[in-house]
Amino acid sequence: MSTTPIRAASVEALQSFRFDRTLDEQIAGLVERFPTRRAALIPTLWLLQERYGWISPEVIEATARRLGESPAFVEGVVTFYTMFRTSPPARYVLQVCTTLSCAVCGATELLAHLHDRLGIGPGEKTLDGLFQIVGVQCLGACGGAPVIQVNDDYYENLDASRLDALLGQLTGRP
Amino acid sequence: MPQLVIDGRRIEVPTNTNLIEAARLAGIDIPYFCYHPYLTVVGQCRICLVEIEGQPRLAIACATPAAEGMIVRSETSPRVKEAREAVMEFLLANHPLDCPVCDQAGECLLQDHSMAEQGNRFATHMVETRRTFPGFERRLIGPHVVQNQNRCIHCSRCIRVTREISETSALTYKSRGNSTYIDTFDGGPFDDPFSACAADVCPVGALTIREFRFRKRAWKLRSTPSVCPGCSIGCNIWIDHDERLVYRFTPRENPDVNATWLCDYGRFLAESLNEEPATAVRHRVSGELLTVSRKEALLAIGQELRTARTLHIVASANLSTEELFLARELFAGELKGELVVPVDPGQPKRMKNGRGEWLNASDAHPNSSGARLLGLTIVDGERLRGFLGEAADLTVLLDPTAHPFLATDEALRLLRPRPTLVIGRGSHAMADLATWLVPGATQACNEGTFVSSLGALQRFSAAFAPSGEERPLWRILTWLAAALGASQLALSQPAEVFSLMASREKAFFGASWGSPETAGIEPPGEHQHVG
Amino acid sequence: MEATLLRARGEKGSVSLDSFLRRGGYEGLRKALSIGAEAVTKEVINSELRGRGGAGFPTGRKWTFVPRDHPGPKYLVCNADESEPGTFKDREIMEVDPHLVLEGIAIASFAVGASTSYIYIRGEFVRWARILEAAIAEARERKFLGRNILGSGFDLDVWVYRGAGAYICGEETALLESLEGKRGFPRLKPPFPAIVGAFGKPTVVNNVETLACLPSIIMNGAVWFTSIGRPRNTGPKLYSVSGHVNRPGVYELPIGTTFREIIFEHCGGIRGGKALKAFFPGGSSAPVLAARDLDVRADFDACAEAGSMLGSGGVIVLDESVDMVEVACNLAHFYAHESCGQCTPCREGADWCMDILERILEGHGRPADPETLLRICRFASGGMTICPLGDAFSLPISSLVGKFPEDFERRIKPAAPLPTKKFPVLPWSRPGTGFGV
Repeated sequence: MSTTPIRAASVEALQSFRFDRTLDEQIAGLVERFPTRRAALIPTLWLLQERYGWISPEVIEATARRLGESPAFVEGVVTFYTMFRTSPPARYVLQVCTTLSCAVCGATELLAHLHDRLGIGPGEKTLDGLFQIVGVQCLGACGGAPVIQVNDDYYENLDASRLDALLGQLTGRP
Repeated sequence: MPQLVIDGRRIEVPTNTNLIEAARLAGIDIPYFCYHPYLTVVGQCRICLVEIEGQPRLAIACATPAAEGMIVRSETSPRVKEAREAVMEFLLANHPLDCPVCDQAGECLLQDHSMAEQGNRFATHMVETRRTFPGFERRLIGPHVVQNQNRCIHCSRCIRVTREISETSALTYKSRGNSTYIDTFDGGPFDDPFSACAADVCPVGALTIREFRFRKRAWKLRSTPSVCPGCSIGCNIWIDHDERLVYRFTPRENPDVNATWLCDYGRFLAESLNEEPATAVRHRVSGELLTVSRKEALLAIGQELRTARTLHIVASANLSTEELFLARELFAGELKGELVVPVDPGQPKRMKNGRGEWLNASDAHPNSSGARLLGLTIVDGERLRGFLGEAADLTVLLDPTAHPFLATDEALRLLRPRPTLVIGRGSHAMADLATWLVPGATQACNEGTFVSSLGALQRFSAAFAPSGEERPLWRILTWLAAALGASQLALSQPAEVFSLMASREKAFFGASWGSPETAGIEPPGEHQHVG
Repeated sequence: MEATLLRARGEKGSVSLDSFLRRGGYEGLRKALSIGAEAVTKEVINSELRGRGGAGFPTGRKWTFVPRDHPGPKYLVCNADESEPGTFKDREIMEVDPHLVLEGIAIASFAVGASTSYIYIRGEFVRWARILEAAIAEARERKFLGRNILGSGFDLDVWVYRGAGAYICGEETALLESLEGKRGFPRLKPPFPAIVGAFGKPTVVNNVETLACLPSIIMNGAVWFTSIGRPRNTGPKLYSVSGHVNRPGVYELPIGTTFREIIFEHCGGIRGGKALKAFFPGGSSAPVLAARDLDVRADFDACAEAGSMLGSGGVIVLDESVDMVEVACNLAHFYAHESCGQCTPCREGADWCMDILERILEGHGRPADPETLLRICRFASGGMTICPLGDAFSLPISSLVGKFPEDFERRIKPAAPLPTKKFPVLPWSRPGTGFGV
């Protein structure tokens, strides 16, 4: 299974940010699903994060205007939820589950192995911008512990060698 | 009207009264942080827990409506005492021991409830390092508000003020759990005309007011009831002062006018009430400014007033009703002068009352309605310019801040060649050209009434006596009246002026100096729009 | 027992509508539409089905709280937030049989009078959100959803709504806040969602597994459902088993199977032949159980009698090598991270527990620590908080302290000096810049 890399928009690109026609229509479609404009906020944020890779202040401001909320309100929502990224991510975000079942089934070893291979720990990014490690809470796949979610995809039953294979797949280098 | 028992006291309360207010009516104080009588209930702080007979779990009083037959225990329940002590301990766990350097000390709900719940022992089992917010410990977040996030107890009052009262939603929570902090969008300026209200409602020193920072301990302040001079809405305020210095305005509760709110513009007029004490009456003779004794000055000015054939008086909608009445009786009545009251619409101002309704100001003055009720001639900037352009033997300016036009070069040019009597508050350009400059005192030394554009007759009191030669205008006018022989106007108290006015003026029949609440006087002309 | 909820497991292409129809899919819905909403509700009440999300509230009774004569609109929300540690059963249903979930949603919506349904699915479950979206598109096209379903006049729109990483949004009122586009703050109750729910309207929130039970209840009848299990603890149950077992996974078994049977028969016992030290019977938000509790039946009432909770049925098995102080610390981290921060006891208490446990693990434990932990837990539960997240950390941590004192004693040395360490703000929250004073 391959994992789609994240192509994050640069800070410069987002400074001239406007909704284009496609986004406008998509957002209008989302608004129709709910009795209030505000309820379309989280689905809209997902749309924008998928498009731009992360949620910048410019995106927040434009979204606030579009949905009739204050930018502070929207930023409050963005920062509540851990999956909304407020800075450009690496191509591959390695979300390592650290909660109980994964913790007792080898998550710590996975993190140590990742540190050996990539030189980074949770909260850090490789210099080439390829990988980023985030320690996350229970991913709901405990039967396959230990689990890492890479971007959108789940990888379960990992050990050092499977992890190596995965990294090889992602970098194109074995 | 449900009847219930709280701590053994039986009371009857209006339907839908929450238990905090019901207890208050019974004379019992239930502690609270996040509850606020004019904001929505959130039930977050958990300190207002009470025991309700028949319910296994403790209930939060703020979110529980009083019901018929309820038996509630607050101070008489050991379970409640234990629970509140625990909540206090949780709140103090990460709260910095900043009291010695925190402005909120003395008016801090955390101090108050900690004293009540824990006595004077700082009881905690917490030995961990407290969580801190580096970079957020003395942060100016707008022109008036300083943030110290370490002290925040996450009650959300500040956020609710910006959401429900000023309706800007300028403040928000960011992050979650114990790393939650308060901030503006992208850390930008706290752009809100009521920004200082957020600091007001903050129960601790997490949000404090820059202008007041480190200037005075709250318990040293004396509070005098007054009315904000910033616009025609007439928000009720306290003038907080000590040793003849005004330190701040704080809102005084009035559900009909301003609930517990005060806008930034009005609030920060407080500093304008502090002036250097004046030393003497000044008389300009051939370009030279001489000092004159008050006795001499009154005689001489009286003489000039009497002999002037054309007398122009520029009064002010910032004056008290008593001062306007005296001015009219003396200058227009006795002396047959022509008197105008300039009114400047100013920037639009509005205020939320206790019912959540917006009230709009009609203009930038506290007493234009008072002037109208007294039948005085109201003029705008244009007509004022015309008025000043006409020749007069003596021009009297009762308040150099009566209208922005008076601060312009044109106004100075028009008045420079003429004899003028200026009763001045503060150093004003008019002081440079006045023939006679009689020092006037600020509202802090004055006592009187304003009529708001909602038709409320509201009284304000003097915070302290003047320290120099300056005097409030009503006093100067009564002296002039004495000097001119108009003995019925040579009164010795604003209350007496008020009585005289109430007996003479139809608009004020039945009004009483003794009860300064809304007297229900209808303002003449347009109705106040309540939007 | 023949599989009901996971009968499609192992079948190739089981997610497709045709495959579902071959399994008898949407027949339950057809029957429900013909017997009427009241009859459906009655059947579900009689089945004694209890919520599978964690609270175990009788489902049929919950439906009756919706005022019948309310003009509407009314909403049925499917809670697919599945974030309770140790729980991964809803994902299994969505993976192999998404239409079963949709059929359950349709039956429940019909019963309570809802015309719109939102599936609130946790943000991380991207694949399963897409599976559900595809199934909804199929169902709409073939008139099993949308206008005039199966010619009955019943209309239903179903939308998938992705969360964005917050365990607290599995709590039904926080879910509704999130659905409405806000921070996931649980609400004060009353009012209850059945009266004031999504967008101020009557709303029922049901778990995925609960909804997945409905088609078979309607088709096979309440009596069939109650024939599995015992009174008030009925029907098939999905147990997610993880941790130190040989065969972790999702098992569909009669509710009330003993933990011994689940762990040692179905899951092949403890890895490496080690001894069992402890297990969580239903997710991490309940008191931990020990080897002596293995013969407890895995149903709602039996677990409650044993001093714990069945909850979501997520069984986490821990062997003798596990240090319970580390377990407590791991869980404290989880709850501190997931606390919404609204109310004092949970916001401060979860963090405080985490700090104490970290300090103990670093070798600086003090004799008063277990007592302090118990005190914190006591005052963050039992109604002290707005929502049960306070209880969710208080119950496991206090049970670990109470049942495994030797693990704590081993770590705590008397009068150890306190470390100096600053705990920074959690990494994914970024203070901005101010003007400075």
